[in-house]
Amino acid sequence: MGRGRTAVALAGMGVLALAGSLLLAAGDQGPQAARSALRPPAPGDPLTGDEIARAGEIASATLRTRMSTGRVELLYVERDDDKAAAHLRRADAYIYDYGTDRLIVRTVDLGRGEVVAESAGRGVRPPPSRTEEARAAELLLADPGHGKRIRAAYAEAAGRPLRSASDLGLRALVYTPRRHGAAAAACRTHRCVRLFARLPDGTWLDTTRIAVDLSAKKIIALEW
Amino acid sequence: MVTVRLPLTLLLLALAAGLAGVPAAGGATAGRETREAREAREAREVPSGTGTAPAGTVPARAVPPRTAPASRTAPARPACGAPYLVDRRLPNGARWRLCWEMRTIEGLTLTDVAYTPAGGRETSVLRSTALAQIHVPYDSGEPRFHDIGTLGEIAVPLQSADCPGGQRRGQYVCVTTRPRGHAYLKSRFEEPALSAQGHDLAVYSAFQVGWYTYLVEWAFSDDGAITPRVGATGSLSGFTAETGHGWPTGTGGSHVEQSHSHNIFWRLDFDVDGRENDVVEQYDFTGSGTAARTLVRTRFTKETRAVNGRTRWWRVVDTESRNADGHPVSWEINNSASAQYRGPRDEAFTRADLYVSQYRACERLATNNPSPDCAPSVDRYAGSERLTDPVLWVNVSYHHVARDEDADPMPVHWQGFRITPRDVTAENPHLRSRAR
Ligand SMILES: [Cu+2]
Repeated sequence: MGRGRTAVALAGMGVLALAGSLLLAAGDQGPQAARSALRPPAPGDPLTGDEIARAGEIASATLRTRMSTGRVELLYVERDDDKAAAHLRRADAYIYDYGTDRLIVRTVDLGRGEVVAESAGRGVRPPPSRTEEARAAELLLADPGHGKRIRAAYAEAAGRPLRSASDLGLRALVYTPRRHGAAAAACRTHRCVRLFARLPDGTWLDTTRIAVDLSAKKIIALEW
Repeated sequence: MVTVRLPLTLLLLALAAGLAGVPAAGGATAGRETREAREAREAREVPSGTGTAPAGTVPARAVPPRTAPASRTAPARPACGAPYLVDRRLPNGARWRLCWEMRTIEGLTLTDVAYTPAGGRETSVLRSTALAQIHVPYDSGEPRFHDIGTLGEIAVPLQSADCPGGQRRGQYVCVTTRPRGHAYLKSRFEEPALSAQGHDLAVYSAFQVGWYTYLVEWAFSDDGAITPRVGATGSLSGFTAETGHGWPTGTGGSHVEQSHSHNIFWRLDFDVDGRENDVVEQYDFTGSGTAARTLVRTRFTKETRAVNGRTRWWRVVDTESRNADGHPVSWEINNSASAQYRGPRDEAFTRADLYVSQYRACERLATNNPSPDCAPSVDRYAGSERLTDPVLWVNVSYHHVARDEDADPMPVHWQGFRITPRDVTAENPHLRSRAR
């Protein structure tokens, strides 16, 4: 048989190169962006890349200072799907405030060019953004024990040293808190993610019992 | 009984479209004509040998024409344009129109789904449908994953071979037509059997979530049925387990792969023939160990949760819209193939197989809902609000006990459910095309 083997690393060293996290990563054209700019979008079309960028800017307008310090972060922009407003071009900007551990969702009316609704709350767990995913991996690599283990596994799988977190095939999922020990309990209010990391030989790092607390910038060992 | 009137222009257009193989287009603008011409070409892209009714399958005797379902107001056109509009006429004359979108969180999302039975009028079915969660708890109790992250960011590019006989829309979405086997077969007295082959329009994408690749698909049949399903492939996690929680897949006893469940939730915002007058009913049949069985109908007036039963099913019925027989138009949901996973107390969302909630735009995911204005999970959506615009959440579980055959790349295992028209047409929808 040849099931996907979970690679467990042994030892190694390397230097961590931080991938520059883009503050407005969601402004990039994601796969959801309407690619064709040949005609104005129909009401039911996905957001265009331009609309995504514009919605992000409008939603962030009052948060620039806090965004520049990394305290507040735009996660992504999603087309607003409220069927009561289906005739309007609207976008929901998902913003995370790491200072207060709150999710803020701002609805932008692209026609009017302004925020028309806002909701905010603690303990809400939207999926991690690409930027958060990269940051979680950087935190994991910066942890002495895990960093060593991962670099060794990478070197063995790739035949070359790991240069940065972006060398890993990353996938983050939001961590859903359960009774996994005292450290994990913080994740009921903190922003915590689980990380999958694929190596060049197709194997995966064993990250099953790890959560990354992005709010506290800590690695959590899940206990069960 | 409601009187039936099919506008003459519509009928003529439908006829012309049927003959010329061009979808009916009322008042097309230049821009749309181009699109529709392209859609028409796609509609003809059926796999070889399965094109419009081979001579041998045409019934010797035309079925008497029956009028189309009662028309109230024509449904709105799908609100999207190319390449997001799917408008396809299947070989029997049935037509499906819908929009697709690759949403950042939910991934492939279909909106404005409308069905036109062969020879009938168009009727809206779903305002929106998408995955609402893939919950994967392992049998030892841990780990337990909630696999919906940003699916839109992890769609797998499809090669042309991944979209046989069809057309890729961008890199990630396949729109194709494929045979579904017999639509019907009936032997006759001293004549060859009466039979026809059916077709599906399939719309799908693939997503890479950790070890697993999920194929997320909706099939729209030429008889009006919709089959949402998810195929799990890619790789097993490789988690080991005590033999009580797994199955030996390594050489001898070298590795015991841990068993787990894939509990998949779909969100379905039904708008049957428009947003108004949609009611959800549950059907049960009493009588066990008795000769007789009795139909029991329960009408859900408030938000509710329900569990499966072997003969239980539900339907979303438009109380005002009738077919040519004067019966209310409805869509039936059947979920009897689920393994019915029931989790621990902190996973209350696993404790029902169907949830019905009043429409709220911010209720999107079955767990970890990303909205501060709404509850976090589907069990909390289904409160006690009065239902005027029901949204259905279907939970289908598959218990995966790995086998040696699940070696990399793991064969696809499918799970899903069926949505079938109940009294949308007054006749076999497949036969109606012959009446033209
Ligand atoms: Cu599985």
